[in-house]
Amino acid sequence: MKSVKIKQLIEKIEGEAELDFTFNDGLIEDVKINFGFYRGIEEILRGKDARDALVITPRVCGICNHAHLLAAVDAIEDGYKKAGQNIVLSSKAKDIRAFTLACELIQNHIKWFYMTIFPQLEAYVEVKSEVNYAMKATYLASTITKALAIFAGQWPHSSYAVPGGVTCDPTHLDVMQAQSLVDESIRFFEQVITGLSLDDYLGIDSVSSLGKIEGDFGNLLYMMGSHHMSEIGQSYDRFIVFGECGLSKAGKSIVTNVSNVDVRYVKEALQEGTVAKAVSYKERLYEVGPLARGMVAKTPIVKSLHKRYKDSLLTRVFARVHEVALLLDYSKTLLQNLELDAPSCTLERGTELSDFEGTGVVEAARGSLIHTTTVKNGLITNYEIITPTQWNLSHGNEKEQGIAIKAMVGSKTMEEATFIFRTFDVCSVCTTQ
Amino acid sequence: MKIAEKKALKRESIIQTALQLFSTNGFHKTTIPDIATKLQMSVGNLYNYFSSKDILAQEIIKYTSEALGEKIRVVNMMDVSAEEKIHKIVTVYFTMAQDKPEMIEYFLRVYLSNREVFKDGCDGMVCVSGFITEIMIFFDDSVSSGELRNQDFFSAFGLFMGYLGGMVFLKGEEVLPKGIEFYIDDISRNIYNALKA
Amino acid sequence: MFITPKPTLLWLQAITCNGNTHSFLNHPDLFSILSHFEIVHHPSLESSYTMEDVINGEVPCDVLILEGSFIDEGFLKAGVEVSSLIHTYATKAKHIISAGTCATFGGIFKQKDPENISGFCFDLEEKTSRYDTYASKLISLPGCPMHPKWMSYVLLMLAANKKIAIDNLHRPVELYGYTVHTGCTRNEYFEWKIDTKNYGLKEGCLFYEQGCQGPYTRGSCNKILWNDISSKTRAGTPCFGCTEPTFPKASLFHTQTNMGIPAKMPLGVPRRAYLTLTGVVKSFKIKRFTTRLLEYDE
Repeated sequence: MKSVKIKQLIEKIEGEAELDFTFNDGLIEDVKINFGFYRGIEEILRGKDARDALVITPRVCGICNHAHLLAAVDAIEDGYKKAGQNIVLSSKAKDIRAFTLACELIQNHIKWFYMTIFPQLEAYVEVKSEVNYAMKATYLASTITKALAIFAGQWPHSSYAVPGGVTCDPTHLDVMQAQSLVDESIRFFEQVITGLSLDDYLGIDSVSSLGKIEGDFGNLLYMMGSHHMSEIGQSYDRFIVFGECGLSKAGKSIVTNVSNVDVRYVKEALQEGTVAKAVSYKERLYEVGPLARGMVAKTPIVKSLHKRYKDSLLTRVFARVHEVALLLDYSKTLLQNLELDAPSCTLERGTELSDFEGTGVVEAARGSLIHTTTVKNGLITNYEIITPTQWNLSHGNEKEQGIAIKAMVGSKTMEEATFIFRTFDVCSVCTTQ
Repeated sequence: MKIAEKKALKRESIIQTALQLFSTNGFHKTTIPDIATKLQMSVGNLYNYFSSKDILAQEIIKYTSEALGEKIRVVNMMDVSAEEKIHKIVTVYFTMAQDKPEMIEYFLRVYLSNREVFKDGCDGMVCVSGFITEIMIFFDDSVSSGELRNQDFFSAFGLFMGYLGGMVFLKGEEVLPKGIEFYIDDISRNIYNALKA
Repeated sequence: MFITPKPTLLWLQAITCNGNTHSFLNHPDLFSILSHFEIVHHPSLESSYTMEDVINGEVPCDVLILEGSFIDEGFLKAGVEVSSLIHTYATKAKHIISAGTCATFGGIFKQKDPENISGFCFDLEEKTSRYDTYASKLISLPGCPMHPKWMSYVLLMLAANKKIAIDNLHRPVELYGYTVHTGCTRNEYFEWKIDTKNYGLKEGCLFYEQGCQGPYTRGSCNKILWNDISSKTRAGTPCFGCTEPTFPKASLFHTQTNMGIPAKMPLGVPRRAYLTLTGVVKSFKIKRFTTRLLEYDE
């Protein structure tokens, strides 16, 4: 019995991380995940005007900035409500926010699918194709973020969501252009990613019909299947979702039992040896992200995969790619039903509150994102951000190892473990803020 | 002297004469021939300079506004406190009311009382912008230096200019027991106290 | 036949959110632009060297793209100070592009530790101690993030061996000679000093109340559109001045005014000139600017 420690630098994860592996008897026994630099966004916000969070917090992360904006505005609106000033968003404002968030998620999942998973899997299984995956990724990502920018002005780093609604005032011309970009994205999904019409793809509800999937996703499933990836990467089979939106509902899922959650029971704690803070719910660790959303919402194909392969690497990867289809379908519906004559912003200028505390929750690409703002005399006195990656990548507590660590433990090689690590769609900058 | 310069001088003398007559005799009671006679020029020649009485009236308000604006501009350029500037602006205004009463009288008795004459061409603040601009600059400077309290422009403007205009009006009605210069110190202090940060 | 090797391109990150990386990935002609270079390392694209190679100082570098704010000590990658990596490659490089406001002036992350965090060659508008060493090869592309087409302009000019005209802060004049106000679809409302009544309206200017910094912020956001389709002000969001050394200022959704007069004037416009025009145009009520631009029949 010999314990060996090895350090590995992981790159291209929105920054870098260092993994310290402890091998025992040829198997990984523990992993320490260390992230680099603490940038102090929460501290920077202190003393600033409450609404400045709408500009500053997106700069937590270049790939999920829009989710930060929406969590920040949700926190302010929640604070207004708790202080007695109810804000009722128009259906238009709600739908536009849901649409732009969906676009960002698609962008994110697609970059992860093509720019992380494909190259890493090919390296892992030692197949080298000459496909320019990044070109596919950036084509779809820039198409769908262009649709986002029609409403939000730009991506990355828009601040178009303000308390009471959105700043844009779109016309049918704008909506048509956005629809056309969504259609182009769907065409890409059909012709390049799955080889199936979106409707046919969405009709897949059990493991037995996965064979219908062709295209790049079909290849990926084939490669993962033939390398037994349905047998590795399992964690605690415990999932949590806090954000309510068209695609997700809040709740937690343990094995297959789904129950309610309350964001007040979320706790953040400092961890030794890293600038990332750990997060728990009632002192237990949970996985967040597309797989969690699929489990809590009981998405048929995710449930079917889970029934057979539990929370394995295959299930986790599948859930994330599958969400692209759900999001494309959802964003198309949102645009079709947009009520353009509703007001964009229902909060009158000059009715801003100056003392409140509120919590905003958004389902970002990697899972639940929580912002809490405390405002006195119009200025932020405290700001707390809990990012999805903090849930998945914490070191754990005295009782149990962290979610991603648990998934890596038992691996025979660092290559396998780091591939498992990347299936969580790790974001270095979000973790350390 | 070049023809253009001669013409400019003539134009100014027309404005000054008309200003006198309008403010003493009233706008409607003063005719173009009255002005021409006083200037010893023909009515036809006067029309070469101003094509109508209304246009002449509008040019006069621009002229007086520029003249007052010029003087306030000098105050704005000074490196003194907002409190002192207020004192200087009040002094400028009252001195003008004293030495060239027709200037202020014209504003109060012709410009403000005959709005139909100024409707086309002098909408809003167009013809008094020379003066308004300098007051804006004074407010802007004094607020950014932290000396005056930040507020809406018109709430401050109304307090300042309404007060001064009111005093000059009382002077014109000859109800002030003392010469207007007597009031400069107190009025300046009152304005400063009302507007200070 | 002799083939000239492509210039090598290294994209190196310091204290950043990766916003410039993702902004550039949106470029519609990304791969044809990159085809002029050999990507030796990039934060997310496949590259010919690993991050470990970069850290070991072994990587060739003709063009260095820097993203993120600079700190001398305390930010390490695999045990190596990032500042020393930057010095190593900045010395090797023939051209240095500071991508984004953080790398150029310090940006948002500077506010965490203003004493020690800055841009690489500028600290806000001041030159850093590094300026003299690297100024001759420096191009600044401030913006939070920088626009992908601003980067492609610089890369293509370098690939074509053309000289890029720059201003005193090393910003290309073809990109930063304009203000964000140039080309804003709300310009008529600015001319007539008509403020927007609330957020979420296509009518009205955002300069008077909502904090828009477009008239005094350098950048071509309304000339070269974002994501090829829009801009902040077109979407009703004020310009936050993100290309400026002063970014981010306080109270970004609020115009500081002195008795109703904007405290900061449009770039290069004397206050007296601005206020003279203001007094005049405010005197007119023009119906077209006080009603909705478009009315749909019920």
